[in-house]
Amino acid sequence: MSEERDKVKELVARARAGEVDAFEALYRAHQGGIYTFLRGQVRDAEVAADLTQDTFVRAWESLARLREAGAFRGWLYQIARNLVLDEAKSGRVRLEVPASVVSSEENPSVLERATEGDGPEERLASAELKEEVWRALESLPAAQREAVVMHHVEGMGTAEIAKVMGVRPGTVMSRLARAREALREKLGGYVEVSDE
Amino acid sequence: MSKCDLIRDRLSEYAVGGLRGRMRARVEAHVGECAGCRAELKALERTGALLDSLETQDAPEGTWEAVRERVLARPRERARVRPRWAWAMSTVALVVVVAVAAVVMVPRPVERPVVVAAAAADEEMQMTMDDHLSTVWAAPLSDMAAVGLRMAALEENG
Repeated sequence: MSEERDKVKELVARARAGEVDAFEALYRAHQGGIYTFLRGQVRDAEVAADLTQDTFVRAWESLARLREAGAFRGWLYQIARNLVLDEAKSGRVRLEVPASVVSSEENPSVLERATEGDGPEERLASAELKEEVWRALESLPAAQREAVVMHHVEGMGTAEIAKVMGVRPGTVMSRLARAREALREKLGGYVEVSDE
Repeated sequence: MSKCDLIRDRLSEYAVGGLRGRMRARVEAHVGECAGCRAELKALERTGALLDSLETQDAPEGTWEAVRERVLARPRERARVRPRWAWAMSTVALVVVVAVAAVVMVPRPVERPVVVAAAAADEEMQMTMDDHLSTVWAAPLSDMAAVGLRMAALEENG
């Protein structure tokens, strides 16, 4: 972990000095997380791709302002998050959509199939099921959605997420709990087990 | 509200690791003896496992090339390194501010009116007063104390 952090620090230092190759290494390490985060927020692949570009361009331009090189990932997410908020303010994207638009009830086949005969591993591995989970995620409020993606998909801790979102770690924990409750409802039959 | 309802209200917090101390112990004790709440907790944990199974998706092909083209075409902010003289100036400014604050904020003894008669009794003070009066004699308006003494003398003489 600390080795990885040292590597990031070194890459940030070189990128600050103007080495585009070092910045490319940072891009390669973080583009997936940032694109996934943005896609989860704006729910549009094309807009997410444009915002991914913008995030890295803005990061390059303002690397001098990054105080702690080891905090590069959180700082990058802050940039991405601010870009999303700007887009939402200008009306180009909508962060909240009516639940009916993304309800998995419209297409319950995957959930139904998943509960029929597969073991848990097969179910988890199902690409279609993951699509369903993404769809369920899309129906969450934006603040819960971003906390879930940063925590479960990107593996960030609550303290790091709190910094990105500008809230206390307890608030992040509470958003994760509310999201878990809502998703458990949406994924219904798949995650339910009978009373022992 | 039944005990199960109370516990279920906190189950999602428990599932994400957000409960500590007594509340956590209460939930654990209840789940240990209630099959319904145990099943609900299991469902929340499975939901968490599903979320953990999600993976990041790569940005579309060509995104780096577009980023590279843009970063090479744009100027960047320069690192804000402060020169040594700026630190020195900051230190001097800080010392001045502290000194001024000390002068303004430290309570000073209340000034008491000079009692001329008492001062006159002191030979040294008398000499000082004489010197002062002779200095301002030629230009009495240049010294407010002298003006005061002159006015007092005029009043006394009627």
